[in-house]
Amino acid sequence: MSSRARVRCPQCGAEMNFHAEKLDPARGVDDPAADEALGGVVLEIHTCPACKFVLEREAR
Amino acid sequence: MSTRPDAADPPLFIPVLLGTARRGRMSEHVASFVVSQLSKLPGVETELFDVRSLGLPTDDAGEQIKQPAFSAAVMRADALVIVAPEYNHGYPGLLKHALDSNLKEYIHKAVGIVGVSAGPWGGTRVVENLLPVMRELGLVTIFWDGNFSSVRKAFDPATGALLDESYVRRLAKFFQELVWMAKVLRHGRERIPL
Repeated sequence: MSSRARVRCPQCGAEMNFHAEKLDPARGVDDPAADEALGGVVLEIHTCPACKFVLEREAR
Repeated sequence: MSTRPDAADPPLFIPVLLGTARRGRMSEHVASFVVSQLSKLPGVETELFDVRSLGLPTDDAGEQIKQPAFSAAVMRADALVIVAPEYNHGYPGLLKHALDSNLKEYIHKAVGIVGVSAGPWGGTRVVENLLPVMRELGLVTIFWDGNFSSVRKAFDPATGALLDESYVRRLAKFFQELVWMAKVLRHGRERIPL
């Protein structure tokens, strides 16, 4: 169970669910946001249960 | 297992992507049939997307060339059905081009693949070749496929009328599994934190 703070949906304001992390296949280790150990930029995927909006952001 | 949704659940949205733009494509008849059968399921909404109509540029690729209506549909979707003809054992390049135009929209969503072939194998090789692509896109594959063999005998090439009624029952099994996976993954995306 994640203890991270929930993100608000930029579209409808509902609380989103953070359900995935994914390495961005197009951004390599030279990207300033890259995690060197993982070999690229990790993206967080959040889904809004109210309006289905999917938010992608760099992992923090 | 019933494909009937719980009363409180909003309908599942399962768009169908027709994966070839070739003239004379028999896959168009298959995709129309898939859409018509999906539309009959209670609690399921669908819409056909056609790679021919997406108008994707070919001088760039990936998320830079998102087609707004297609991306919005995939974002709203709970599952996706891909209708893919087998060309020289592989998938059409334009299908891959279209699939690559989204990423976050696919993650933790169900996908079912319908293979189409002129010969006897029902597109099994295109289905198998698409599996690693589905995985990298974040889609979750099911273990039923649609397999349309000798497609010119399955549909009237001129009218698109279904000539082999056994496909109704075969697709019902495929949809049953797809709907189950779509419901499970919707619950996960919306309720189960990482």
